[in-house]
Amino acid sequence: MKFKKTFTVFLTVLIMTLSLSGCSKSSTTNNSQTQTEKKQVKITVMNSKGEIQTQLEKMAKAFMNDNKDITVEVIPAPAGQSPFEKVSSLYSSGNAPTLSMLDPGDIVKFKDKAADLSSEKWINDSFDRSLDSAKVDGKVIGFPFAVEGYGFIYNKELLDKAYGGNFDASAVKTQKDLEEMFKKLEASGVGSIIVSPMDWSLGGHFLPLSYSTQSKSSDDVNKFIEDLKAGKVELAQNKQFKGLMATLDIMKKHNISKSSPLSGTYENGPEALATKKAAVWFMGNWAWPQIHELDAENNSYAFLPVPISNDAADYGNSEIPVGVTKYFILDKEQNSQEQQAAAKKFLEWIVYNQTGQDYLVNKANVIPAFKNITIESQDPLAKSIKKYMSKGKTLQFMVTLPSDHWSKNGASMQKFLDNKIDVNGLAKEIQEYWKNIK
Amino acid sequence: MREESRFIDKLKTYIVYAGPTTFVFFTVIILPFLFGIYLTFTSYDGISNSHNLVGFANYIEAFKDTKFLASFLLTLKYVLYTVVFTNVIAFLFAYILTSGMKGQNFFRAGFFTPNLIGGIILGFIWQFIFSKLLVYIGNNFNIPIFSTSWLADPVRAFWTLVIVSVWQNSGYMMVIYIAGFMNVPKDLLEAANIDGANAWRRMVNVIIPMMIPSITICLFLTLQRGFMVYDVNLALTKGGPFKSTELISMYVYNQAFLSQKYGVGQAQAFVLFLVVALVSVIQVYFSKKMEVEA
Repeated sequence: MKFKKTFTVFLTVLIMTLSLSGCSKSSTTNNSQTQTEKKQVKITVMNSKGEIQTQLEKMAKAFMNDNKDITVEVIPAPAGQSPFEKVSSLYSSGNAPTLSMLDPGDIVKFKDKAADLSSEKWINDSFDRSLDSAKVDGKVIGFPFAVEGYGFIYNKELLDKAYGGNFDASAVKTQKDLEEMFKKLEASGVGSIIVSPMDWSLGGHFLPLSYSTQSKSSDDVNKFIEDLKAGKVELAQNKQFKGLMATLDIMKKHNISKSSPLSGTYENGPEALATKKAAVWFMGNWAWPQIHELDAENNSYAFLPVPISNDAADYGNSEIPVGVTKYFILDKEQNSQEQQAAAKKFLEWIVYNQTGQDYLVNKANVIPAFKNITIESQDPLAKSIKKYMSKGKTLQFMVTLPSDHWSKNGASMQKFLDNKIDVNGLAKEIQEYWKNIK
Repeated sequence: MREESRFIDKLKTYIVYAGPTTFVFFTVIILPFLFGIYLTFTSYDGISNSHNLVGFANYIEAFKDTKFLASFLLTLKYVLYTVVFTNVIAFLFAYILTSGMKGQNFFRAGFFTPNLIGGIILGFIWQFIFSKLLVYIGNNFNIPIFSTSWLADPVRAFWTLVIVSVWQNSGYMMVIYIAGFMNVPKDLLEAANIDGANAWRRMVNVIIPMMIPSITICLFLTLQRGFMVYDVNLALTKGGPFKSTELISMYVYNQAFLSQKYGVGQAQAFVLFLVVALVSVIQVYFSKKMEVEA
C-alpha cells in the first residue's frame, strides 16, 4: 500500500517534469544538436508568396543538393494571413524562421531582431533604390526578393483583332484612348475589361496610383502622404485622385461583371481572360502562373499603364508602378550563428548560382532585383515590366503604406465600385482613414 | 491536529488526481488570460522587445472607435436572429423526431451532420452555393432574387451568415432537445392526457417546464457561439462586401493583427469577454430559476 502511494507520487512528479521540460527554450536544443550531428544545419524559410510555394520547395531541394550539410524547410504563410501575423506568432512561440519573407512596410518593426546584411556581396549587385525600404538606421536588413509591377494586363491577340491589324500599346495614353479601346473591343464581339473587386487590389494597388502619380520625386510623394495624415489634402479637389477615379468610372462602365460588380473573385480574372470574355484585367505580374495555366498557348499578354487624364504628357499616363514587394529578413535572435551563416549562403546561392538563378527566374517567375542575373524570363508579363524598367517608365510602387491601408480603403473603393458612394464620399472616407493614422 | 492532517490528506489526493489538470489549466488558460489583460494597459505591438505602460489609453481608444460599436451592434443583431432561429428550428426538429415517425434515426443523423463539418469548409461550400450555384439557377430559371450573388449585397450577405450558422448549429441543439424530450416523465404526460389537456396545453404546461434544463444549455451555447463566431464569417464573407458583415471577433482580430493596434484590439477583446460573460450569467441565472422538479 505504502509502495503504491509513493509510486503514484513518483509518477505525478515525473509527468509534471516531463510537461515542464516541453517549455524549455528550443534554441538551446538546436545548438546542441548542431554540435552532435556534425554541422548538419537546419534553416527555415517563411514564404508569404503562396503562389510559388511548390517552386520554392523545389528550389530549396536544389540548394540542399549543392549543400549537403544544410537542410532548408519552406513554411508557407496561410493565404489571407499577412506575413506579419505569421511571423509575429512564430516569434512569440520561440520558433522564428531563419529567413522571413516580409512586406516592405513591416521590415522596420523587426529592426531589433533582424541581422545586419550591409556587408553581403549581393548589395553591390542590386538595382538602384531596390534597397530603399530595407534600410533601417543606415543598415540594410532586407534581401530584395521579388520585383513586381501592375497595370492593365491585356491580351494582344484580341486587341490586334479589334484594331484590325497590329495593336500599338504606346498609342493608348489617355482616358479617351482607353475608352475607345474598350469600345473597339466590344465592337469586335469580345468583352472589354474585368474589374476584380478584391479589397487588396482596389485599395492596395489601384488607389495608391493616385499617390504615386503626384510627383516624380519620391520625397514629394512622401510629403503628400504626410499631408494626408495631417488632414491638409482635399482629395476631392486633387487632380490625380479625381482623374484616377474618372478612369475607374470608365472601367465600371465597361466592366463585364457590372451587373454585380462585387461578386467576382480573383480566379474570375484569369478565367475571363482565357475564355476571351474579357481582354483587359487590372492586375500585376504575379497573376501570370494563373493566366498561363488557363491560356497556355497565348504568350501575347503585356501591360498597359492606367491613364489618369486626357493629357498624354501627364506623369503616370505612360508609366506603370514597379517596385520590390517582398524582402527576406534574417533573424539573429532565435537562430544560431551557424543557421545565420547557412541562410546567408542560401541567399547568395539564389543570386549567384546558375541553378539558383534559373529557379528564381524561370520556375518561380520572379523578377529579380539584381543586375548580375541576365537570364531572360519566359514570362511575357515580366518581360513587359522589364521593358518599362529599361525605358525608365516606372512609377513608385507604394509599398510602405500602413498595414491596414488596403483593407480599410479597399472597403471604401468597393462601395464606390458598387455605386454606394460617389467620388466625394470616397474622398471623404479615405481622408478620414488617413487622419486616424499616427 | 487531526484537522490539519485531514487537510494535508485532502491536498495530497487533490494533487495526485487533479494536479496535472490544474497545472495545465493554469498555464494555458489562466496565465494567458491574465497576461492578456495586462497587455491592454501597454503599448505592445505584437513583436517589439519592449513596451510601455499606457494606463487606460487603449480602453479610451476602444470606446471612441465608432466602427467597433457598429460591429458590436451588428453582432447583437446576428446573435438575436441566430439564437431565435436555431432554437426554434432545433426544438421543432426534436419534437418531430421524437414523435415516433418513420426513419427518425436517419433524420437525426442527417440533421446533426453539418455540425461535424468545420466552419471554414462549411463557409467555402456555402460561398460556392451563394455565389455560383444559386446565381446559375437564378439566371436560368429567371428568379430575380438569386440572379446576383447574395454575397455581393450587404443586407443579403448578413442573412447568408445567419442562414449558414443556423444550418450548422440547429442539428447540435436538436440532439440536446431530443435528450430533453426523452426525459419528460411519461406519467406526467399521461396524467395530463387523462385531465383532458390538448397537445398545445401539454406542450406549454408540461413539456416545456420539464425541458428548461435543455433550453438553458441550448440558449447558453447558441449565445456564446453567436458572439464568438469567426470561422464562418471568415470563410463565407470575409467581412465583405466593404466590411458590412464584419462581426465583432473578426473586427477585434483585424484591429490587433491587421491594423497592428495590439493593445486596442486586446482591450476590445476584453470588453467583448465581459459582455459575453455578463449576458451568459444573466441568462443562466434566469433560466435556472425557471427550472421545476417533476
